[in-house]
Amino acid sequence: MKIKDIASVSKQLGVSRREFLKYCSIVAAGMGLPLGAGEQIAEAVTSAARRPPVIWLSAQECTGCSESLLRATHPTFEHLILDLISLDYHETLSTPSGHQAEAARAASIKANKGEFILVVDGAIPVKDNGIYCMIAGKTALDILKETAKECKAIIAMGSCSSWGGVPSADPNPTGATGVQKILTDAGIKTPVVTIPGCPPNPYNFLSTVLYFVTFKKLPELDDLARPKFAYGRLIHENCERRPHFDAGRFATEFGDENHRKGYCLYKLGCKGPETHANCPSILFGDTGAGTWPVGTGHPCFGCTEKGIGFHKPLFSRASLHMVTPPDTYPHVVEHQGKSALAGIAVAAAAAGAAYVAVDKVAKKLGDDDGKGKK
Amino acid sequence: MSKRIVIDPITRIEGHLRIECEVENGKVSKAWTSGQMWRGIENIVKGRDAREVWLFTQRICGV
Ligand code: SF4
Ligand code: SF4
Repeated sequence: MKIKDIASVSKQLGVSRREFLKYCSIVAAGMGLPLGAGEQIAEAVTSAARRPPVIWLSAQECTGCSESLLRATHPTFEHLILDLISLDYHETLSTPSGHQAEAARAASIKANKGEFILVVDGAIPVKDNGIYCMIAGKTALDILKETAKECKAIIAMGSCSSWGGVPSADPNPTGATGVQKILTDAGIKTPVVTIPGCPPNPYNFLSTVLYFVTFKKLPELDDLARPKFAYGRLIHENCERRPHFDAGRFATEFGDENHRKGYCLYKLGCKGPETHANCPSILFGDTGAGTWPVGTGHPCFGCTEKGIGFHKPLFSRASLHMVTPPDTYPHVVEHQGKSALAGIAVAAAAAGAAYVAVDKVAKKLGDDDGKGKK
Repeated sequence: MSKRIVIDPITRIEGHLRIECEVENGKVSKAWTSGQMWRGIENIVKGRDAREVWLFTQRICGV
C-alpha cells in the first residue's frame, strides 16, 4: 500500500490517515465487500494516475439529486466526491455559462473519450422530439444519445433519470422517460446503473463510483439496474417498525394514539413492503437515528421502486410480498415421512396453529377501523 | 447596428435558463429570458387527491 499517497490525500481532505481509511472501510462494508476491501478502495482512489472524469448532465430535474450529494454533511464524503473525481461539467456548479460551459463539456468528452463516467439526473422528455428540455439550443434527448456513445458507463442518478420519476407521473405531459429505456430504444449499449431515490442517498452513489474506480467494473445489479448492495432488500425487511407490523399494531391516522406510539404505518399507505432500498439501514443526512421517512412517522412512498413512487396513490395499501411466515415458524403443510405417530400429531397441531396465525394476520390487515390495535 | 448575444445555459441556478439580449451601441436594448425545461407539474396535479399533491409540487425545485 502506498502510505505516502494516502497521507497526501488525507491531508488534502483535512482528515487523518486513519480516518480516511475508516471511511473507505465503511463504504466497503456498506457494499457488503469482504474485509480488506476498504484498503483496496483507499489505494485505488489515491494511486489513480488522475481523477476519474465525470460529466454530469441535467435534464428534467429539480436539482434535488445534486443537492443531496452536496449536502452530504460529512466533510469527508463531500470532499471525496468533489476532490477525488474530476467533475468536468455540471450545469448547476459550473463557473462559466453559455458557450464556455458547453466548450468545457465538449473538450472533456474529446479528451476522455471512452473513459469518463456520465451521470444523468432528471428525466428525458421524448414527446414532440424532446423540445421540453433544451440546453444550448439542443434537446436533452440528443445530448444524452450523443454523450452516451462516448462514455464508459452511465449512472442514472435519482428516480427521474432511472425511469421518469415525478415528471412521468400520470398523464406524463412531456413523455418523460428514463435513461436506460432511451438508450435501449436507440440501440446504445453503454452500461447503465440506476441509483433511484427522490432524492437518492448520496452514499449509494458514492459507493458505486468508488466500486467502479477500485474494481474497474460495475457492482452487481438487479433487473432494474440498481446495485444489489443498496437495493437488494425491501424497506419492510429492515424497518424498525416491523415488529409492530408482525404483531398487528398499526397507526390508522396521522397523530392518533398508535401513530404517536410509533406503530407500523402500513395502513397509512406505507410502500415499504414493495419497495427495495437501504433507507432504514443507512438513513439520511448523517444526523443520527430515525432520520428516514418512516423513522419520522411518515409512510414510505416508494420512490426507489419503478411504478410505485409517483404512480401508486400515496394512501393506497402496498401489496405484500412477504406475508408468508418465515421458515422458523411451523410449516403449514408438514412432510409426512416415516415419523412416529406422535410426531405427526405435533405437526398437525403446529399446522393448525400456523393456519390460525395467518388467518389472524389477514383479519388484522383488513381491519380498517383500528380495532386491530392491542 | 445591434448585436444579439445568447447565453445558454445560465449556470449556477436550478433548472435550464436561456438569456438573449440585443446590444445597441454598447448598451442592452432588449432582453429575453426563457425557461428551457417544462415538466407540466400543473397538469400532473390536476384532479389528484389533494393529500398527495405536495409530493409533486415539493419537487418543483430541490435547491
Ligand atoms: S429524482 Fe427527485 S430529487 Fe432527483 S431530480 Fe428527480 S425530482 Fe429531483
Ligand atoms: S409497512 Fe412500512 S412502517 Fe410498517 S413495517 Fe413495513 S416498512 Fe415499516
